[in-house]
Amino acid sequence: MDQSTRENLMIETRSISKVFQTEAGAVTLFSGLDLQVRPGESLAIVGRSGAGKSTLLSLLAGLDTATEGQVLIEGQEMELLGDEERARLRATKISFIFQSFHLLPELTALDNVRLPLEIRGAESPDKEAAHWLSQVGLEPRLHHYPAQLSGGEQQRVAIARAFATQPRLLFADEPTGNLDEETGARIIDQLFALNQQQDTTLILITHDPELAARCDRRLRLHNGALTEITS
Amino acid sequence: MSLLMRLAGRQLKTQLRTTEWRALLLATWIAITLTTLLTLLGDRLERGLLRESANLLGADLVLSSSRPLSDERLDEIEASGLTQTRVVQFPSMISNPTGGDTPPMLVSVRAATAPYPLRGEIITEPAQTTDLPEPGQVWVEQRVLSQLGLQPGETLELGYSEFTISAELISSPDRGTGFRSFSPHIIINRSDLEATGVLAPGSRASFRLLMAGDKESVAAMDAQLRPSLADHERLLALRTDQPLTGNALGNALAYLKLSALTALLLSALTILLSLRRFSQKQHTRSALLLNLGLNPGQLVRIYLYQLLLAWVALALLGTATAVLLDSAIQGWLANLLPQRLPDPAPYLWFSGAALGLVMLILIGLPPVLSLARIPVAHLLRGDSPPQDKRARTLQMICLALLAVTLLVFLQAPLAALILLVLLLVGGTLFGFIAQWLLVRAAEPLANRLLLGKLLRLRLRQQRKWHRLQSAVIVLLLTLLAVVWVSRSDLLAEWRAKFPTDTPNFFVINIQPWQKPDLDRFLEQNTIDSQLYPMIRGRLNELNGKPIRPQLNEEQLQDNSLHRELNLSWTHDKPAHNELLAGQWWEETPDRPQISVEQDMMGDLGLKIGDSLGFDIGGQQVSAEITSVRGVEWTSFRPNFYVIFSPGALESYPSTWITSFRLEGERKALATQMLSEFPSLTLIDIDQLLAQLATWLKRLGDSSAMILGLTLFCGLILMAVTLLQALEQRRFEAALMQTLGASGRQTRRLDLLEFLLLGLVCGALAGFSAELVLAGLHLALIDVEPRLHPTLWVALPALASCFFVVTGVLIRRPLRLDQCYRLLRAGA
Repeated sequence: MDQSTRENLMIETRSISKVFQTEAGAVTLFSGLDLQVRPGESLAIVGRSGAGKSTLLSLLAGLDTATEGQVLIEGQEMELLGDEERARLRATKISFIFQSFHLLPELTALDNVRLPLEIRGAESPDKEAAHWLSQVGLEPRLHHYPAQLSGGEQQRVAIARAFATQPRLLFADEPTGNLDEETGARIIDQLFALNQQQDTTLILITHDPELAARCDRRLRLHNGALTEITS
Repeated sequence: MSLLMRLAGRQLKTQLRTTEWRALLLATWIAITLTTLLTLLGDRLERGLLRESANLLGADLVLSSSRPLSDERLDEIEASGLTQTRVVQFPSMISNPTGGDTPPMLVSVRAATAPYPLRGEIITEPAQTTDLPEPGQVWVEQRVLSQLGLQPGETLELGYSEFTISAELISSPDRGTGFRSFSPHIIINRSDLEATGVLAPGSRASFRLLMAGDKESVAAMDAQLRPSLADHERLLALRTDQPLTGNALGNALAYLKLSALTALLLSALTILLSLRRFSQKQHTRSALLLNLGLNPGQLVRIYLYQLLLAWVALALLGTATAVLLDSAIQGWLANLLPQRLPDPAPYLWFSGAALGLVMLILIGLPPVLSLARIPVAHLLRGDSPPQDKRARTLQMICLALLAVTLLVFLQAPLAALILLVLLLVGGTLFGFIAQWLLVRAAEPLANRLLLGKLLRLRLRQQRKWHRLQSAVIVLLLTLLAVVWVSRSDLLAEWRAKFPTDTPNFFVINIQPWQKPDLDRFLEQNTIDSQLYPMIRGRLNELNGKPIRPQLNEEQLQDNSLHRELNLSWTHDKPAHNELLAGQWWEETPDRPQISVEQDMMGDLGLKIGDSLGFDIGGQQVSAEITSVRGVEWTSFRPNFYVIFSPGALESYPSTWITSFRLEGERKALATQMLSEFPSLTLIDIDQLLAQLATWLKRLGDSSAMILGLTLFCGLILMAVTLLQALEQRRFEAALMQTLGASGRQTRRLDLLEFLLLGLVCGALAGFSAELVLAGLHLALIDVEPRLHPTLWVALPALASCFFVVTGVLIRRPLRLDQCYRLLRAGA
């Protein structure tokens, strides 16, 4: 890969490893991982439980630091950024969708979507939040609390929250894990549609082969190594 | 030991490390301590009250009069066949003849005739074989001995006589009513009274005839006397008159109940929240135990054993703490109460422990029962089971039962219920106002700070907890501020309103034959004072006709018609009275004239030119109103409703009264005056106020201690509520950091929230404390309320400190790499 391509990468990892210290000694989760993700690409990471998928995701998102190696987001080395700068980067470029939605129960759907907009100091958070909720078909549910929404609706609020900041990079961690098959499928359609429309880079962690198959690329994390799955 | 018991013990041991169990233990401990303490104290006071009212009269029926009883009355009663005896009670000065500089003291003297009393008994140390002191002897209370530095066997002076102290008076019935019942008492034999010279015609005294007999005769005498009572007479019967209810001891009892209820509510809420949190954390463990083969009954038993084990330890600890505090309070109050308080009923030592058990079971049962109904599938799904309706109903029933228990326990269900409702309504109101203020206070910040917008969301998110926290803190801080300020300020402010030349000595019972010598004494010693004659008379005529038929219903209620008035005469207008209308007499007028106090003029609808008639010792005197005076009743100078012109009253028996100010070394002149005129009654206002200040201070200290414990209870509750929301806060912080906030931002957001909450609660508490204090100022000391700027600074500072410190202590910092793991773990 030449220099100019590298600069255009959304994410690049250079030989990263993660080692945990336990009472029984050091445990290496993975080592020497190299990964490149292009802008607009969708990538699925699959693997059995405990393989380290979520740890890898938090490294890629700059939420955790690698024991060795570097993580670069749009050419910026995460290690070199301070807490505030990393927070800024997350606020402006990165969004997350979680398996259990993680909406704040005391806030309405609208307020939940407003939260990241407020954090990044948006001009008119109310209007933007309402717009994104209407994008996921929840216009009539703006002022409902999470407890008043179904699982599928809660995940749609979470999707609206994720897209509201118009991120360059979206991480989805088992987004359909807590939903039934039919609702899950509808949510995923919506997620991919918005992803395409916004030209977001999507990194998806999943157990579901069908869901993984919808991504441009699929990687398996197994025994501390990443391998490309070819169809 | 059974397996279940062992399991319960181990469970308790492990859970002692969790914050919710520590809070539960602390709250229960305080609840048991305070309940035991307040029950013991309350029972002592109540028994004291009961004893006082049962023995109060020292008879079945008492005829009390401000004048010597007439012969007709005595004959009338003599004929009834009831046992009877006579007592005279009056204030007087006594002194220690060998006491050097020890100032004389004001006491209440009872001169009685045997048999005395007719009901109840006098207890003395050493015990005496006679009803009353032998002639020449006196029985005195401990306060007299300590203040005059005397011992039994030594002598004291009363008027012109000396008495040997033959015994210490421990308790006695027939103490009289009002303030005199609280001043130190001495008892002498009636046969010694004349020789002392302290009681002369017109002296202030209560003349009582005590009667006892069978129920029917007493009732018949009651019925016979009551309709014919004169204005200066009162009839007291055991069943109808309870002069001690509504007095200081009664108020103390009410205060104890308020404290107890507040503390119990706070404890109950703490235990409820702690157990709720505990049971939420036990879902998985319970599902596991059920999955392993325990049946629901066994599971319930494990958790109940666990609660019982905790209760046994707390019952011992709480009761022991209460006993210690009880003896401390007994020590503080020992010198203040007229008599030693009786010991409480033995079973009451366990009252706190018993109530603690009821609280734990009633609050603990619903969550424990719901744990036994956890579906084993919870282990697989990991979600929290929905609360079923039955659990909710059970909880409501248990809480209602708890409320009933508390009300019954406080023994005045209706008063306690009103109080409970007031506390709940007040708390809810404070909660809502505080939350509203909080939102308003955050508005300007939201437009200026980035964090301000998040703060707005935070306030919305935490609103329920904020309401609860602010309700509790505002109520407690208000109480604290009121007790703190009033304990020293009220009296100080009351005194401060008097000019510096306000008299500090009153002399009463000056006989006419003593006046020339006393005038000379005052003049020689350059004591600035004026003597006024004092005569009692009853207002009975207006413009030559009986006054009552000429007045309306409201005017008939006026106090001046229901008692004898103190009348006086003087040539010159008293300097401290203001002439508001009419003219003061120049010389001795031909016909009697009077000057009337302005309120009396207004209340009775009198006008200048009206003539008033008075019954003075059976003789009628009339005079025309020629002027109206303004009188400052709290000026500590002799004041009169009606002052006659010279020449009208001189022929009637009178005593004289005066007041003056002595400062520093010149106070010794008072002692000197008393040694020259032993039969005078000298009232040292400074001494009385000092006594009152000691009273207020000791009561303030005792109530501050009880309030301190209540406050501590409130603090634990605060910590528990912050803990309840802690996981939610950590989760929120994790989510916010994942969404782009920095660790510093979330920390600042917490600080901002706590600071604002503290400021709002402190300000609200300051406001409500000022309101209560203003009410107290107006009701108790009639002083224009003033603001207490210290409160406005101290309360918000205290509240903010409290919230910030508790918040920081409980909030653990959250590292960025923990955030995602925390969110994953919640999945």
